[in-house]
Amino acid sequence: MASGRGARSWLGLPRSLVLGTFSVVLVLGAWWAATSGFRLLNPLRLPAPVEVWVAFQQILDRGYAGGTLWSHAQHSLGLVAKGFAVAIFTGVPLGLLMGWSRHAEALINPIFLLLRPIPALAWIPLAIVWFGLGDTGKIFVIWLTAFVPSVINAFTGVRQVDPVLIAAARTQGASTAQVIRHVVIPGSMPMIFTGLRLSLQASWTTLVAAELVGAFFGLGRVLNIAGQDIFPGMIIVGMVAVAVCGAVTTWLLGLVERRVINWRPAV
Amino acid sequence: MGQRNFLGPSGTVLGHGEFWLLTLAGFGLFFGTWWGVTALGLLPAQTLPSPLDVWQTLVRLWERPFAGHVYSEHLGASIRRFLMGWAIAVAIGIPLGLLMGWYRVLDEVITPLFDSIRFVAPLAWVPLAALWFGTGIGGPLLIIFVGSFAPCVISAYRGARLVEERLVEAAQMLGASSRQTIWHVVIPGSLPSIIAGLRVSAGLGWQSLVGSELIVVGAGLGYLMVQGQANLETSVVIAGMIGIGVVGFVMDVLLRAVESAFRRRWGQE
Amino acid sequence: MSEIVFDGVTRRFPLAKGGDFLAIDCIDLRIEEREFVAIVGPSGCGKTTLMRMAAGLDFPTDGRVLVGGKEVRGPGPERAVVFQQFALMPWKNVRENIGFGLMCRGTPRAEREEAVAHYVQLMSLAGHEDSFPHQLSGGMQQRVAIARAYVMNPAALLMDEPFGALDAQTRIVMQEELVRLARRNPRTVLFITHSVEEAIYLADRVVVMGKRPGRILETLDITATRQAENWEAEPIEEVMDSPAFTHLRSRIWRLLKAREQEAPAA
Repeated sequence: MASGRGARSWLGLPRSLVLGTFSVVLVLGAWWAATSGFRLLNPLRLPAPVEVWVAFQQILDRGYAGGTLWSHAQHSLGLVAKGFAVAIFTGVPLGLLMGWSRHAEALINPIFLLLRPIPALAWIPLAIVWFGLGDTGKIFVIWLTAFVPSVINAFTGVRQVDPVLIAAARTQGASTAQVIRHVVIPGSMPMIFTGLRLSLQASWTTLVAAELVGAFFGLGRVLNIAGQDIFPGMIIVGMVAVAVCGAVTTWLLGLVERRVINWRPAV
Repeated sequence: MGQRNFLGPSGTVLGHGEFWLLTLAGFGLFFGTWWGVTALGLLPAQTLPSPLDVWQTLVRLWERPFAGHVYSEHLGASIRRFLMGWAIAVAIGIPLGLLMGWYRVLDEVITPLFDSIRFVAPLAWVPLAALWFGTGIGGPLLIIFVGSFAPCVISAYRGARLVEERLVEAAQMLGASSRQTIWHVVIPGSLPSIIAGLRVSAGLGWQSLVGSELIVVGAGLGYLMVQGQANLETSVVIAGMIGIGVVGFVMDVLLRAVESAFRRRWGQE
Repeated sequence: MSEIVFDGVTRRFPLAKGGDFLAIDCIDLRIEEREFVAIVGPSGCGKTTLMRMAAGLDFPTDGRVLVGGKEVRGPGPERAVVFQQFALMPWKNVRENIGFGLMCRGTPRAEREEAVAHYVQLMSLAGHEDSFPHQLSGGMQQRVAIARAYVMNPAALLMDEPFGALDAQTRIVMQEELVRLARRNPRTVLFITHSVEEAIYLADRVVVMGKRPGRILETLDITATRQAENWEAEPIEEVMDSPAFTHLRSRIWRLLKAREQEAPAA
């Protein structure tokens, strides 16, 4: 808007790419300089890039906190997948029901009103009391995180379906079941997917938190143990692993969304 | 949830009386089931205390200290920490987002850095925060900051980018400098988006605060819950959850009200 | 010095799938000082683009745009713009919107208030000074936009289909008002419209453009007819009913229609 017209490419490359690479390189360079190059920081505070690499290799081959990087990541991702799946298959139908039926909405809404303000993380201690530190507890917490946005977005999705479309279907003789299947559900898909995307990110965040608080296995546990062992290199490895998994799952969901909702120009 | 026109997609109309009856039934269903389960002894009292137990515990916690402090002190500590961390995120995030939205160059420099850090879950910063700040307040503040920062930047950015281009052109045409344009057009124009973002940011920040208190030692509602869990005093845990829920709810209501007030004033619906 | 000169102006737009779209093809046009020129043409003929280039909101791919002998480098209050969508700031009231440019310039408060008050009166906005745009009708909002432009005492006035967003009745009223205002405060005006009647009624000269690519088909001088028929003395509905007016209108319509048949909308 403000910064001039044209001048979007430098040396034949898009300016954004050049600047982006430059800033990343600058930060990495500063990191290296501060830690190993000029030793400006106590290595206990911020590990040098070399240390991170060493830790990465360790967890890759020999393992750490009870498993290799891949086994921890797999375990965590598996839990997210399970919890997320349960949440979708319980939340979306409930949301659709509440969206379709005013009676259902009036009845169930109060329960939501009571439980919604409690953030998922706040359920972790209760989950530990009920299920211990094992997998079930983690899946429960993920289910809680992902459930509410799924319901709300399915609900909103149904409500924003153009009533004219429903009326048109009915004038063509569609039964209620047919209207729901051919008009309401496809029409709510965009909103549902928005909700799914948010749910997934939230699920991932919650799982990491739950594993940090207490778990036997998983990326969160890696972070936890690394913190206790005061192993800065491994802490960074853990954080990066968490970020990568979060980004990959989000991207995968985006792919699914594009395949399912193929009747819309990419928004 | 719930528009008030009472005409659902199924075409059924819901009367006023019916609505309130069902709502009350909903509340009744919730508390009834809870109380019923405990009264019938379907679950041990340790797993699920009855609503009455929870109430009594709340009263007890209000007067007598648990895990070092009374309930109000835990509550206060949590709120204080949250407000500090959130204020920093807002103070840095919103101007940054606005500037990134206005100056393309800044956007292109910062976005890759921002995107790479964004995917690290807030609580994943806890071990690093412990490394940097030990058991001081810096730790939770960092976590809250990380949790609430992204929505601030993103909503301010979007707000700035979506300001009607004609308005910016009109301002430039009338001779406004870049600074004047930002102050008189971009900032007011982005306010709706920013305030919506503040709501999201506050919610995430509050959640991050709770999370950090589950791990970092001190006072606070999260800490209260962890101590309750360690002592197998489930009603203490639930009492903590109630406090967390109430504060979160109140915050959301307040910010929603601010949002509506702005919308009404400028006629932007 | 405020004459507007388009010297061999060409504008190409890069297409998403590669290649260029030729929006305007080598246009030469000179608008004399204090002349009111209307450009009329179908959607997409480039008339708005021409105006935006004079305003400094867009730039030619080839050729030059000069105002007052100086090449246009960017927007500024000496070439005031009135937009179709009004572009008033919703968070400022009428007074503040009109005075915005003066405030940016640093005009002292007393002077500013005086100027704003003058134009509030002139544009029949008295009593609405403290209202916000969303409280005003479309016609009122456009009056504010016009006042905002005039208060800067611009050398040239650039108007981009300013009455396009108004309903038919309001539009006619605004056309009459604009004529009165323009006669009292003559300036160089470039007026963009797709309404042939509006162009003939308001302008000294009408430039007819065709599209694909944007080119000037013909220029018609209206002043002679206006003075001969003494349009200034008649109400707008009489003017638009007169044979001379109708004749001009048919002529322009025929031009546009012929062009449309040559290069039909693809």
